[in-house]
Amino acid sequence: MILRRSVACMAAAFLWAGGVSAQTAPAPAPVAPGRGVLKIGVVNPFSGPMALYGDEMTRGFDLAVDRANAAGGVLGRTVQIVRASATTPQEAISAVEQLVSRDKVDLLSGTYVTALSNAASEAALGNNKLFWETNALAKDLTERGLPNFARSGPAGDSFAQRSVEGVIKLVAVKIGKEPAALKVWIEHEDSAFGTSIGKEQEKLLRAAGVTQLGIGNHSARAVDLSDSILRAKNFGPDLWLSTAYVVDHNLLLRTAREQSFKPAAMMLVGTGDTFETLDALGKEYLEGVLLVSYPRPDVGEAYAPGAAAFLTAYRAKYNREPIAPQSMSAFVGMRILLEALESAGSVEYDKVLAAAAKMDKPFGSYETGYGVKFDKTMQNVRALPLIAQWQDGTVRAVYPAEAVSGGTQLSSLARK
Amino acid sequence: MADLLNIVAVGLLLGGIYALVSVGLNLIFGVIRVVNFAQGEFVMLGMYGTFAVSAATGLDPYLGVVVVVPALFVLGALVQRLVLSRLRAEPAMQIFATFGLLLLLQNVVLAVTRGTAYSVNTPVAQISVGLGTVQIGLSRVIVLLAATAVTLVLGLWLQRSTLGRAIRAVAQDQRAATLMGVNTDRVYMLSFGIGAGLAGLAGCLLAPLYTMSPQIGTNFILPAFAVVVLGGLGSVGGAYVGGLMVGMIEALAGYYLDPALKHAVLFAVFIAVLVVRPSGLFGQAGAEEVGLREQT
Repeated sequence: MILRRSVACMAAAFLWAGGVSAQTAPAPAPVAPGRGVLKIGVVNPFSGPMALYGDEMTRGFDLAVDRANAAGGVLGRTVQIVRASATTPQEAISAVEQLVSRDKVDLLSGTYVTALSNAASEAALGNNKLFWETNALAKDLTERGLPNFARSGPAGDSFAQRSVEGVIKLVAVKIGKEPAALKVWIEHEDSAFGTSIGKEQEKLLRAAGVTQLGIGNHSARAVDLSDSILRAKNFGPDLWLSTAYVVDHNLLLRTAREQSFKPAAMMLVGTGDTFETLDALGKEYLEGVLLVSYPRPDVGEAYAPGAAAFLTAYRAKYNREPIAPQSMSAFVGMRILLEALESAGSVEYDKVLAAAAKMDKPFGSYETGYGVKFDKTMQNVRALPLIAQWQDGTVRAVYPAEAVSGGTQLSSLARK
Repeated sequence: MADLLNIVAVGLLLGGIYALVSVGLNLIFGVIRVVNFAQGEFVMLGMYGTFAVSAATGLDPYLGVVVVVPALFVLGALVQRLVLSRLRAEPAMQIFATFGLLLLLQNVVLAVTRGTAYSVNTPVAQISVGLGTVQIGLSRVIVLLAATAVTLVLGLWLQRSTLGRAIRAVAQDQRAATLMGVNTDRVYMLSFGIGAGLAGLAGCLLAPLYTMSPQIGTNFILPAFAVVVLGGLGSVGGAYVGGLMVGMIEALAGYYLDPALKHAVLFAVFIAVLVVRPSGLFGQAGAEEVGLREQT
């Protein structure tokens, strides 16, 4: 009896421990309602393991709002960002309720994490508010048919699409193999983020004639990933194509180094392009590793007009280099939203989305190289990631050709 | 066969990690009868402490042991004296207090680091030795050797030293130990301090292997509880053997079945051991019941 009580007590506490993440970000101070203010509630992880990126993304929002306010605001009102932190779907729902009922926001935006977007957008619909997604990736988000939802940034399948373009047009060419002769190992973390991209990659690679495929998945919280690396090593791939978060990507790469796993090429999707990976692995090991990532501020101006100005504004406001490229994608997403609001003349979601659906801007219209054209699911189909490469400790865009800044070339892919 | 050898080596080295994390946890449980949910956070603090020492001095991260282990010992002793000792009559509350400590430590580190993932580097972490088809990372070998040494030294110390005998006496029967003149308050504080110090040692030696995040401790604690139950509640040697078992189960299941299934297999074994032998493979019969038994 005592044992049962003891175990039940431990189990309950531990399950709670697994489900609750750290939360330190203070609740945002209530913002006094005012006629002259257009409030955009932003749901993001401002605490927990994703806080760095939730914060970084929202910096992009802030810069876009600063820009709009400097130009006279939107709908004749000053735009204001109101933050609410969420690290789980349950918290995302609470964050939306708080933003709507307490802070009286006019509409909502976010997020760094698909699961948060999923929950927050449904809660926003329950409150009759628009939810404008700029960064969360899972393809499913726009396939739910939510009438209040649109995504201005790339979806996971566009990351998969870009990575497969890279496999065929960069890797196969560089190592001198036809797609049919190419062996590719697809590794992905096992949440919706990694799984959706991994499945799409498999489909697209098969369609492109790459049939020698191995597939592995892992938990982002795993203490050891030797089994994942040894399975991939045993397969003997030319390319190791991996989608993961920062911490598990770093562990995978460290284990690959330890196990002398040296495929002809490595391509990381989603992360692996920040100082956190550089610090963990060092520039010598990372040299030549390919990355599928959001457009970076260093892309060529012909491809992404204004990217340099974004970088200048970011440095001026935050007194540092951007932590990750997600901020510029968020910046552009917010710009598109503000344009749609102005065009709609309203904050009602049906009117804003109708106005957004009419937008038709070619690639290269924004700082990320994005254009605007929403499909029937309200996914912007003119928002695509880039392929970059670690070169001498910095990340350089290498594909598509028009995004490559002067002098940059694809370097050797060989692993040391 | 080559695959099997390699994966056995991986399992043993992973087992070393689990053993090192679990020895202190098991000592705390064995003596103080507290399931310390914050043990993973002590490991996390050890990692960040190693990073801080290395960044401040420019020395190799492994040398952080000199600062981190005593610091964690003192922290553990203070936690026991200031928090847990005041809840000794409420065993369930002690458990929840350690859970509160878990969240407190995570959030403090999160507030300081803003969630940035840090890493430490040492030339040792880049050395990997090939023995035929088996590839072994030197930093993992160091962890396994440290776990072995800690188990042996701690085991001998508990068996042969006066203080060690006092700790074992308190573990067996606190009231009788008190009547024999053992200062139980001191033993509790010392045991919790040693447990926390061992977590600090684990943090130091694991820092070169991982990218740190404030939540990394919780990744270790779930398998560590499995280690403690498998090996035997309160048994230092059991934690070592349990660690190796858990490492081996994870490695074999992850490689031959599916990495996504390795925890399912591990916890199937965990449940089977609980059902057949509730005290664990090396635990004392009945030890599983004293977790909530009043000791005052």
